Amino acid sequence: MESELVRLCIEAACENRESVEKWRRQRRSLERLPSHLADALLRRLIHRRLLFPSLLEVFKHSVEKIDLRGENSVDAEWMAYLGAFRYLRSLNVADCHKVTGSALWPITGMTSLKELDLSRCMKVTDAGIRHIISISTLEKLYVSETGLTTNGVTLISSLKNLSLLDLGGLPVTDQALSSLQVLTELQYLDIWGSEVSNKGAAVLRKFSKLSFLNLSWTNVTKLPNLPSLKCLHMSNCTISSLLEGDGGKPPLKKLIFSGAKFENEAEALMHIETSFLSFLDASNSSIQRFCFLPSMEALKHLDLSWSTMGDDLVKHVACIGANLRNLNLSKTRVSSAGVGILAGHLPNLEILSLSYTPIDDVAVSYISMMPLLRVVDLSNTNVKGFIHQEGAEPDFFLSLKALESLNHLERLNLEQTHVRDAALKPLSSFQELRDLSLRSASLTDVSLHYLSSLPKLTNLSIHDAVLSNNGLYLFNPSATLKKMDLYGCWLLTEDAILSFCKKYPQTEVRHELVHNLPSNPNGSTSPSPSRLTSRTLLVNQKQGNISISPSFVDQRLKYNREELLALQYSSLSLAIPLDRGSTTSQLLMNQSSSMS
Amino acid sequence: MKKEDMVKLISAEGFEFVIDKDAAMVSQTIYNMLTSPGSFAETQHGEVTFPEISTTILEKICNGKETEFPIEPELTLELMMAANYLHT
Repeated sequence: MESELVRLCIEAACENRESVEKWRRQRRSLERLPSHLADALLRRLIHRRLLFPSLLEVFKHSVEKIDLRGENSVDAEWMAYLGAFRYLRSLNVADCHKVTGSALWPITGMTSLKELDLSRCMKVTDAGIRHIISISTLEKLYVSETGLTTNGVTLISSLKNLSLLDLGGLPVTDQALSSLQVLTELQYLDIWGSEVSNKGAAVLRKFSKLSFLNLSWTNVTKLPNLPSLKCLHMSNCTISSLLEGDGGKPPLKKLIFSGAKFENEAEALMHIETSFLSFLDASNSSIQRFCFLPSMEALKHLDLSWSTMGDDLVKHVACIGANLRNLNLSKTRVSSAGVGILAGHLPNLEILSLSYTPIDDVAVSYISMMPLLRVVDLSNTNVKGFIHQEGAEPDFFLSLKALESLNHLERLNLEQTHVRDAALKPLSSFQELRDLSLRSASLTDVSLHYLSSLPKLTNLSIHDAVLSNNGLYLFNPSATLKKMDLYGCWLLTEDAILSFCKKYPQTEVRHELVHNLPSNPNGSTSPSPSRLTSRTLLVNQKQGNISISPSFVDQRLKYNREELLALQYSSLSLAIPLDRGSTTSQLLMNQSSSMS
Repeated sequence: MKKEDMVKLISAEGFEFVIDKDAAMVSQTIYNMLTSPGSFAETQHGEVTFPEISTTILEKICNGKETEFPIEPELTLELMMAANYLHT
């Protein structure tokens, strides 16, 4: 790793355009720059958006690795400079949409290049691949979702040193796959979404070193035995038999069957060596009986979401629970009784998702018997936060209190449950809780008050709650709070939120009315704007899918117009002028996407 | 401070910087030079010569041990290479 002083130097070198100009003519120093320093300096320049094609030239004697993923400006001119990089080992231009087939001409015949990522460069065609095949040193080639045709794929067969080939989303036919069988060094092959059928799958036997194979979204139903296979993806395939044939059984570690259909699951899986298997994703698959589960004793990660798993079958999970770290049962029929069967059998479980299941508060006490849990998702369930006890005094107890015994609990999701303020009281003593998500129109300032005492709270999300300006004013969160998401808390006014932001500058607040997030003034830790924007957009799209809950409307009906106006001292108008304050493009995007 | 608690770092141009030994030992390279067994001149006299590091850069590195300092952009390349060489 870089030392602190090296880091400070790189930071100072990439402060702005002017600082770059101060050192870019120091040719002798640049030529002597050790490659790991050159790589780090270049990375920082990209991050700070200070890199332009002609500046690349100064790195041609030093840089070994360059990652330009998603940089929209990368085009033929950039490639012309990159072609002169004498020691370049790894070049990543994935998602650079201006990279065309002819733009690849300058990298023809590069002598050090071992790794090339052209994923999703849609303008890279068969003509482009002709330039690539001149680089005989290539060991790793990513060309998924490019413009390659079957012919282009066939050409790749001349790159004899390839150990990794990603052809995802390309029209690879059985014949094209057959032409690749000369690539005997292949360890990793990705042909998801290809036209490969069982006939082509038989060719896979020729790749004797194959340890990773992705056949998702293909017509392959029968996979022959591949003795070195460790990781297999067959999502959305119809599977009739797997790894049947002579030779040793492969030491499978990871199986992804998400969305797969099985004609006969027991028969399809009977040839699999299960003792090393640590990862199984059978989400949304047609698996009905799960009778193969008990032999998978080494499983650490098990995803059964959207499957037919239910209380009747959950015993199969319980019997292999000893090693499980991550269990996803969301969107299954598992109820509190099922969680009861699991309780006590999951001593090492760290992550548990039960969202969209019919569980209620009884499950919460069973969950408290899984001592190492760090992450618990109970969203969209019937959890209320309290259990009635007939005849007892008081006649109810707070169910979430049971989770207090989970000393490692860091993240809890209670969105779209039936919890009300009083039920959240036990949360105030959760010492390790960092992430909390709530979404309910029944929650008020009282909940916020309980959360003030959480010492490690870092991310808090309370959507659609009836939080008032005064409640926000009185909220006194731990200094660790980095992000507070208040979308849909419609009573809050802009002034109240801004004064909270001022009071807690370390906390980033999200709300429909916020368009001036606190940003890092020196920009040293913030990622480059383009990447940040795409990420925030993604987040917002996700939020957009979850529409306002029906109970949200009920809550508003509770108040008449006068009461509403009295509750709020300024207008609730959503029409905010976007030019106010110092808004950056990223914030504008954020704003417009959340409003649309 | 006693003489044996100090070390002398000598730049390419022959300038000498006398600094606290503990502070200098933060650099893994200097530490190795001063503690390696055998009768190297470095070990005996507490002196290290850096023919590759200029006076300006060595001064920065010696000062940097005590306080935060601004780094002029024109010095960044040399300083980063020196810091890298010294493992500091």
